[in-house]
Amino acid sequence: MAAMSLFTELRRRNVIKVALLYAAASWLLVWIVSHMVSGLGLSSWVSDYILLLLAIGFPVALIFAWVYEITPEGLKKGIDVDQTQSIVYKTGQKLNAALAVLAVLGVAAVIGEKLLPEFEPPPPVVLEEIPLKPVFDFSAKAAVPREITSFNLPNGLEIIVWPDHDIPNVVMYNFVRAGGRDEYPGITGIAHFFEHMMFNGTVARAQGDFDTEMEAAGGANNAYTSNDLTVYMDWFPRSALETIFELESDRLLNLAIDPDVVETERSTVYSERRLRIDNDNFGRLYEQVRATAYVAHPYQNPVIGWPSDIENWTQQDLEDFFKTYYAPNNLTMIFAGDVTPEEIYLLADQHLSPIPRQHPPPAITTVEPPQEGERRLLIETDAQTPLLHVAFHAGAEGEPETLHLELLLAILAEGTSSRLHQALVEEEQLLLNIGAWQSGGFDPGVAYFAMTLPPGGDPAAVEARLLGMLEDAATKGVTAEELEKARNLRLASFWRSLQTIDGKASVLGNYEVFTGDYENLFAVPEQLAAVTAADLQAVAAKVFRRNNMTVGVLRAPLEGESQ
Amino acid sequence: MRRVLLGVLTLLASAAWSDDITLPDYERVVLENGTVLLLSEKHEVPLIGLRAEVRGGSVADPVGKAGVAELLASVMQKGAGGRDAAAFASATANVGGRLTVSADVDSISVAAEFLSRDAELMIELVSDVLQEPTLAADELEKEQARAIGLIKAAKDGDPNALMANYAYAFIFGDHPYGRPTSGSEMSLADVSRDDLLTYYSENFGGDRLIISVVGDFDTAAMKARLTAEFGSWEPAAGALEEVPAPPKATGGRVLLIDKPGATQSYFWFGNVGVALDYPRRAELNLANTVFGARFTSMLVTELRVNAGLTYRARSVVDQRTQPGPVTVRSFTETSTTVEAIDLAISVLRRLQDKGLDDDMMVSARNYIMGQFPPRLETASSLARMLAFLELNGLDRSYIDEYGSELQAAAAESVALAISEVYPQPDDLVFVIIGDAATIRDEVAKYGEVTEMSITEPSFRVPPAD
Repeated sequence: MAAMSLFTELRRRNVIKVALLYAAASWLLVWIVSHMVSGLGLSSWVSDYILLLLAIGFPVALIFAWVYEITPEGLKKGIDVDQTQSIVYKTGQKLNAALAVLAVLGVAAVIGEKLLPEFEPPPPVVLEEIPLKPVFDFSAKAAVPREITSFNLPNGLEIIVWPDHDIPNVVMYNFVRAGGRDEYPGITGIAHFFEHMMFNGTVARAQGDFDTEMEAAGGANNAYTSNDLTVYMDWFPRSALETIFELESDRLLNLAIDPDVVETERSTVYSERRLRIDNDNFGRLYEQVRATAYVAHPYQNPVIGWPSDIENWTQQDLEDFFKTYYAPNNLTMIFAGDVTPEEIYLLADQHLSPIPRQHPPPAITTVEPPQEGERRLLIETDAQTPLLHVAFHAGAEGEPETLHLELLLAILAEGTSSRLHQALVEEEQLLLNIGAWQSGGFDPGVAYFAMTLPPGGDPAAVEARLLGMLEDAATKGVTAEELEKARNLRLASFWRSLQTIDGKASVLGNYEVFTGDYENLFAVPEQLAAVTAADLQAVAAKVFRRNNMTVGVLRAPLEGESQ
Repeated sequence: MRRVLLGVLTLLASAAWSDDITLPDYERVVLENGTVLLLSEKHEVPLIGLRAEVRGGSVADPVGKAGVAELLASVMQKGAGGRDAAAFASATANVGGRLTVSADVDSISVAAEFLSRDAELMIELVSDVLQEPTLAADELEKEQARAIGLIKAAKDGDPNALMANYAYAFIFGDHPYGRPTSGSEMSLADVSRDDLLTYYSENFGGDRLIISVVGDFDTAAMKARLTAEFGSWEPAAGALEEVPAPPKATGGRVLLIDKPGATQSYFWFGNVGVALDYPRRAELNLANTVFGARFTSMLVTELRVNAGLTYRARSVVDQRTQPGPVTVRSFTETSTTVEAIDLAISVLRRLQDKGLDDDMMVSARNYIMGQFPPRLETASSLARMLAFLELNGLDRSYIDEYGSELQAAAAESVALAISEVYPQPDDLVFVIIGDAATIRDEVAKYGEVTEMSITEPSFRVPPAD
């Protein structure tokens, strides 16, 4: 049969119309299903399988159309039909009409979609108990990715969604506003202890089930506690989304604080304390320097807790702490990855709305008074390599001066090209290494310098050199090249943090929690460009003063010296 | 017709599995001098990740001079091309880039990450560090003193950082895998500049080089740039070090490293395991995931969750060109040292007796698949993976077929992998850091005890690195 006559025959038997009709109907069906998937929170495999079925059906329909004909007596094989009685033309007209109807429906659907408002979450409820301080006024609002959406549930739970479909995975960060800062003598370490208890069973789930279910669904989790926050992370494939909501809501709603489990967990936390502090010279000195630098503010307590407090929390302490700090109005949840804001809203509304709002936690009103004169401490212990730690009171997260100090610390001590590394490690070989960072959170932190000396090194000599170089920064400032380098280091780390869904969730949450608005994150490039060398010199002069300083030394006892 | 339908089905099924683990497209180019280039574009953020591997590594360290490759890697960054140490460090930092050279067992690698606008400069720096390192004598002296000091500092800090050095020395003995890549205080002190120059001339050259680059660039331009930079690099003067297969270690031996006053004991036990080419890799990964490589593992459940003896417990299967070690690792309060070790051994025995049930298989498979995609999310992690495959003679099927291998793994073949890889309880080698005066007598039940002080300058008895 020639190609032309095959085409004619295909037309005559309405095969082409059936194909068009099938394609149009399929498109409409898939359009409807995909909207149901995102609207109703159905799993995406539903649309995958409908697509599969439709594709299988396509050749079947065509063959059917080729072989069979509709006749007044019903369905017959085409070769059995008397061609003079054939009504294929009429059938064709009906098919045309059906096609026209579908086409109108399709156009209506597309237009309707355009006319419908985009997903708009309910307006945020202003949370008065959270100190909102959008400190950065920036013009580059355009830099905020439009796909990020935030909303609050009626119970005050704040949720931010950053869709990113690069890999079929999702990251959840739950920022709980509870940390070492919220503790006082008798319950130090309780926020960190709770980080452990949150994995230890609910009324509905036995100890271990949380992790067993999550890992069986392909997810993994972790958590950390800082001076200001307890942060929970889940990393999981998209397919585990609903499981994650069930698990997270269950432990927020129904946590069991089983007294037997509390006792086992005390031992585990003690093991963690021995690991990080008691058997590590760095940890021992760090704990003592912070405890010395602060006299009033709770930042003086170690996040892991003092040993006698770890031993003595009561059941009532734990229950009170959970009720107050794990209330929805004290949380911010971030989802980044292969999700839509609509499905997160629907799942959150279903699983997290039932958690009751509570009275806000008590405000931390203690302000560390200005330091009156330098403070010193010495730990004598087995040590081949002496340690020197120096801390200066500095600013809180989100303050402009904190950014200035961050850039200054990069110039002073980040990487081998930094001033202190070049002078003290490379040229003078007084140190094996040096690190510097600042610890500010909701309240003012410290700028911290941690140094390891070579065996036999002299901490006093190093301290003198360090202070001399810090004074240089305060009196002579920094060069334009140094400022440019520090800006580039921060700009690169900004981009690095946006490479992964984990990084996105983490930085977005930190900006939201500490500055009151996640959009401030996208002001980073603009803020960096605005910083001047004079800003850095000013913050150096303000922070690097003897009266503002705490010095800690850890070394072996000197020979002939009695302890 | 049926065939066509099947074809359609297969096509759609594979599309539905597109959530599976697969590598992105990349181009592999072999230059005339033997240098291999691996290139893949990725444009989400303006960053580039680059990984260069030079075959060789610490197995090529001369006997008695462990740490030559590691010291060479440190000194290579201290000046190259026309730049001295300070100028070289500034050149990278000024543009917010990162460039580090480090030694591993089988290679010395350069890892760089930078903004795409700085590609020209950063590739020049990578090229300089590889082809024209200054290797100045005074920089070697500083790095040598510093490396020795940092080992002493680690001994004052968290002992976990040094466990591998003691354990590998005790398990592998005189085999190259027994020598610490970092060197020891003793071996580092003996390294001269001539040692570095000899190592460099014998092990560095275009025929040893793999460069993998992923990120925000144009492939054709990047290929031309790298070819111009590395295409004429001469081959290395020496032959590639061949590592023999290590024998299994004699079990029932204990190395006790005394850290007086330690309130916690750190322990590893195990023996020689299997190499990278082990055929039942999916089965082994399933078994080890369940045994000791995630939070609900058997080890964590028993030692931490049920007994409260530790904060962390895990099992690690280190697969290399030749069989590496398989080890169980944890720590506990000094007074519960034997209790924790006994419990860990009983968990190992349970794995060997019972294997994995169906729930464990499904859960471990989901876990491995669910946690894999983020490992290939960034330009740098992809660059590293592509270089790893090339270095070990593997191709993309090593990743692309992993999902189906996991799906195909059956409980019986998992049981076989367990019996082939994990040592029997009477065949274990133990390494413990702790307060010897308190635990010396108790740990003697695990076998003949060899004791040393943590302050000794070598990681083995008798001292030799």
